[in-house]
Amino acid sequence: MKHNLFHQITDQMTDPSFIEEIKKIPDGDKILDCIQCGVCAGSCHARFAMDYSPMQILKMAHLGLKQEVLTSSTIWICASCYTCASRCPRGLNIPAIMSGFKNMAMKNNVSAPIALKPKFHKAFTEIVGKYGRMHEPELQLRLLKKTSLGDLLHNASLGMRMLRKGKLKLQPSKLNSNTHFSEIVKNVLKQEGQK
Amino acid sequence: MKYAYFPGCSIHASAKEYAMAANAVNKFLDVEFVEIPDWNCCGAIDAVYAYNRLLSVSLSARNLALAENMKMNIVTLCSACFFTLSRANNMLREKAELKSTVEKAINDAGLKYEGGVKVRHYMDVLANDVGFDKIRQQVKMPLKGLKVAPYYGCLIVRPTGIQRFDDPEHPTSMDKVIEALGAEPVYYPDKTRCCGASLVITDEEVMMEMTKGPLLTAKNAQADCIVTPCPMCHFNLDAKQKDIESHFDIDIGLPVLYITQLIGLAFGISPKELGLHRNIVSPNRILEKLKATNYTAPKT
Repeated sequence: MKHNLFHQITDQMTDPSFIEEIKKIPDGDKILDCIQCGVCAGSCHARFAMDYSPMQILKMAHLGLKQEVLTSSTIWICASCYTCASRCPRGLNIPAIMSGFKNMAMKNNVSAPIALKPKFHKAFTEIVGKYGRMHEPELQLRLLKKTSLGDLLHNASLGMRMLRKGKLKLQPSKLNSNTHFSEIVKNVLKQEGQK
Repeated sequence: MKYAYFPGCSIHASAKEYAMAANAVNKFLDVEFVEIPDWNCCGAIDAVYAYNRLLSVSLSARNLALAENMKMNIVTLCSACFFTLSRANNMLREKAELKSTVEKAINDAGLKYEGGVKVRHYMDVLANDVGFDKIRQQVKMPLKGLKVAPYYGCLIVRPTGIQRFDDPEHPTSMDKVIEALGAEPVYYPDKTRCCGASLVITDEEVMMEMTKGPLLTAKNAQADCIVTPCPMCHFNLDAKQKDIESHFDIDIGLPVLYITQLIGLAFGISPKELGLHRNIVSPNRILEKLKATNYTAPKT
């Protein structure tokens, strides 16, 4: 944990436009309501794997520390369990803000401390966009570190366990071509492009 | 009672037995699932939502629109799908700008959503539409002496607004179902902790640390098995249990059943029809324990 960060803030580190960007995230407009009580930090089930606590991330956002926030492991480790959101006395939707940070990091090609993360989001979205449903074997294959024998064997062992029990669906399930799905995906991508 | 049934991607692959058991018990409870024709991915809690929020909400909106055409409310077995569809439903109600963008995307494709669908989790239907008394009346073979740890996980109790049906800190709906079946719900501290499902592919060690908690505290509370209402939780608790045991060098050996499988056993439905052979940690030891209390599992 980088306890000393707050004593080392320089002008170059702060970006006053960051808070305005955050306010555009759905439910992001409430970020200034945070009273730094620490309920989110104490409640977070994944805190042990984060560099900053969710409470610290919110304060860093207040201070405009955009780069520090977007390169933190916290925003990627957040498992979206919504425990913090259901306990926050100020009603902040913290996981939605974390999703917004991930989105900013991916859009700005900020290099993530966990390299697999942006690849995971991209691959997941593309597979769902292609078939309409998730096809897990394809997702696993796209993300597999093919250079690591240990990884391959580990995945094969779980894969066999799943296969034996009929829990692995090798063929993707697809939607009927005439039920609007691909048009919706096309429409969304078109609208996103206009922004 | 008819519902527009949203299976979700896990139910179609790793979690088939959850739906097999739900279909088997529904017959006893006057619940009918009518599958939403050509449903698509719910929109995903974060995997799609963080990458392309508009796409995620539009994916949910298509499912909501299809259910609205059926003039039924949605029921789903998956806590993550439940949360995602509920979230989109709320957002489409409250966020005018997002609503108009999503509407345009689905209207241009020939679909319309007026906002009239409720999203329900199967546990909500069991607790509030079916009721615990009706479940109790259908019990043929009470699960006497069986200690069951209810694992609610996170998302089933966390949505905001009208979709919330149980207490987010101390939910009791599953405890009451377990009681109605003649079994004993075990009280343990981790029943609403997150299993780390969304980290399973990218941060396996973090996920294993998160899932270890409920497995160990349930075991320490002398549970014979865990039950869950979520295919994500089930995957981590059941399919990954062996990996967790070897990673931390600990011994757990706890069978993990879907809540529908447990209900089915008490209703006298055969283990085969409930898909118990598909569970990765063998549930045989609970069947053995039940046999000792005169419970006989039907063969078919």
